[in-house]
Amino acid sequence: MIPTNLKKTTEWRFDDILFCIASDTGSSRVWFGSSDFNVYEFDTSQEKPERTAFTGDSHESYVTGIVRVGNTLISCGYDRRMVWWDIESKHSIRRVDAHDKWIRAIVASPDRTRVTTVADDMQCKVWEVATGNLLASFSDHQSMTPHHFPSMLYAVAASPDGKWISTGDRVGHVAIWDAMSFAKVGEIETPIMYTWDPRARRHSTGGIRSLAFSPDSQFLAVGGVGKIGNIDHLDGPARLEVFRLPGGERTLELEDNKKKGLIEQIVWSPDGKWILTAGGDNNGFVTVHDADSGVLAHQDGQDGHIHAMTHDQEFSNFHAASHQRITRWSMNS
Amino acid sequence: MNQSINRRTLLKAAGTTAIVSNMAALNVLSQPSFANELVRGDKSVLLLWLAGGASQLETWDPKPGRPTGGPFAKIRTSIPGIEISELLPKISTRLNETAIIRSLNTKIGDHGQGYELMDTGRVGEPGVQFPHLGAMIAHELGQLDSRVPDYVSMYTSTEGRRQGSAGFLGARYNPMFLTDKMIPEDIRRHEAITDVDHQDRAALRDFFAKKFVRDLASPSVSSHENAYERVHGLMACDYLFDIDRERQAMRDHYGPTQFGQQCLIARRLVEAGVPFVKVARAWWDSHGQNFETHRELCADLDQCMDALLDDLKQRGLLEKTLVITLGEFGRTPQINGSLGRDHFANAWSCTLSGCGIRGGSVFGKTDEDGQTVVEGEMNAGDLFATIFSALGIQYDKEYMVGSRPIPISDFGSEPCREVLA
Repeated sequence: MIPTNLKKTTEWRFDDILFCIASDTGSSRVWFGSSDFNVYEFDTSQEKPERTAFTGDSHESYVTGIVRVGNTLISCGYDRRMVWWDIESKHSIRRVDAHDKWIRAIVASPDRTRVTTVADDMQCKVWEVATGNLLASFSDHQSMTPHHFPSMLYAVAASPDGKWISTGDRVGHVAIWDAMSFAKVGEIETPIMYTWDPRARRHSTGGIRSLAFSPDSQFLAVGGVGKIGNIDHLDGPARLEVFRLPGGERTLELEDNKKKGLIEQIVWSPDGKWILTAGGDNNGFVTVHDADSGVLAHQDGQDGHIHAMTHDQEFSNFHAASHQRITRWSMNS
Repeated sequence: MNQSINRRTLLKAAGTTAIVSNMAALNVLSQPSFANELVRGDKSVLLLWLAGGASQLETWDPKPGRPTGGPFAKIRTSIPGIEISELLPKISTRLNETAIIRSLNTKIGDHGQGYELMDTGRVGEPGVQFPHLGAMIAHELGQLDSRVPDYVSMYTSTEGRRQGSAGFLGARYNPMFLTDKMIPEDIRRHEAITDVDHQDRAALRDFFAKKFVRDLASPSVSSHENAYERVHGLMACDYLFDIDRERQAMRDHYGPTQFGQQCLIARRLVEAGVPFVKVARAWWDSHGQNFETHRELCADLDQCMDALLDDLKQRGLLEKTLVITLGEFGRTPQINGSLGRDHFANAWSCTLSGCGIRGGSVFGKTDEDGQTVVEGEMNAGDLFATIFSALGIQYDKEYMVGSRPIPISDFGSEPCREVLA
């Protein structure tokens, strides 16, 4: 059922840039990764919450991905490493030098026994949560763009049924993988997500920035930005495409010229009826679309680009990690 | 300035006097005009123009770990104690040929005005058309009888494209400006004319023209004849723009990008005696996605600048060629909402490599967040004085514009001696 409203309810301001966020289904705590290289805990139920930094063997660059697995957080960053953290002691328990270049994203498997990372070395890697052992490394993404510049592998998703992993890169290539054998089982092209300016500015922008399987694992939503005229800015339409699996038939194609920029996060509703997207250009947006028709249901904005979003178990409260703030939106069904 | 003794004359004179008297040769060399000619000495400038404004924090003055530092690490270089951004790994291995200036404070954060400032070395004045750097270098280092252009400028992107002007030096020093193609248009022999016909026509014209010039003894006729000879010379140098004549290994060294190809052409031009070549690499104006943009563009700069310095050195040209990386300004230490950096001219960087430069040196210092210059502040005029000094050009010499003396570097400018060899 489409929610009846979408409302920004609270905002907490910081000096740094918050790139990733994870939540606790049983409490009001969230954890996020920052441009100051730290991982923080933040209790949103407090009247004046203070964030608490985790300690130990930390990151040495931007923290760009975080997942919670039981009583453990696993973060990743541009320092190419993954760090396991004990939530209660707020101290690191394992560090793994995971990739050769920036790690862009991390996702947990539905059974929480594995995590998967993607990085600018264009590798997708699957890790065992309990041991930190590498289970597989694979790629279907070119290291260079067609215009001879380094490509980037931004996005990864795991299907709710545990069967699939998908990865998406800068030039709009999506690969779909068997989550057990790690064999490639499909691919999708979304070239509009990649803007190459051959004439005026002679470099590129864009890329696939978010992926999400539908709750029944039958559809894959791909988020990014449409063609950009002036690539000095993120001045292009937020772009969402949805594909039916396994064939890859496109069932939805949406571009939003009102709220522009990158779609950094996609959330499907539990019943698959609506899709929430979040991201932005210099500012941020949260948008809810009907998943079948694509009709815009709700939209809101804020100062500051949204980099990631998490939600509670009821899908009623959403917390966004943004440029210099955490923001909470609430929805009623 | 008007004593037009060129290199060929000098060599002829020096050779003759060597037979007659060694002392006489020394006397010839002591004359100012001959000394100036020695200064010229086949020196060249190769300007890599980072159009739109590259970030000093992602190139020459990294601040990792600071709120303004961004995500990139700094790396060690071939010079102990000097570190640059990890985005320039190849350049990091050859800083012994390069001086980094980290203390430019040029104050103007607007593309158009910033470009004018950094291409003329001074703030404009109504009523005076100041020449751009390329025109001044062409004027100072060009050879009157040269059969190659004095000033070639390549700017194929459209954003921020500006031709550059010789200003009061006159159209003779305007650039050969390449925008659409990497070879000048309309300089190839018309295909309807055979090479033999072309040479015969030239010889016939030459015969009559020389007689005409001799008989008439008019400066304007001589000037016209010089201009014609120049055009004829330019037609003969179209091969310089043809990088298919280079070995594949050399082309690979410069890489597959357009900037790489243009840098290779630039080396060919410098090798042939062109005194000033500008290669513009647009567009660094990263208001959004600064880090992605610099990951792309720095990879291009790193490969091409490394190949260029390497190639020039292998050919023995680096000690005679000053390679400059410069743009109209740098970028803000603050990171904006779309992970971009905006225009910033208060504390930014450039580099000088090769001719006349003390390699492995760093001049100036910014504060820990890169917000202000705290040591060795340098303005555009000082940078120009440094460039002229590196080339052996008197940095405070004056041009006469009507009855007004205008110094080649802006009033009060001083070269930065710490980066000069």
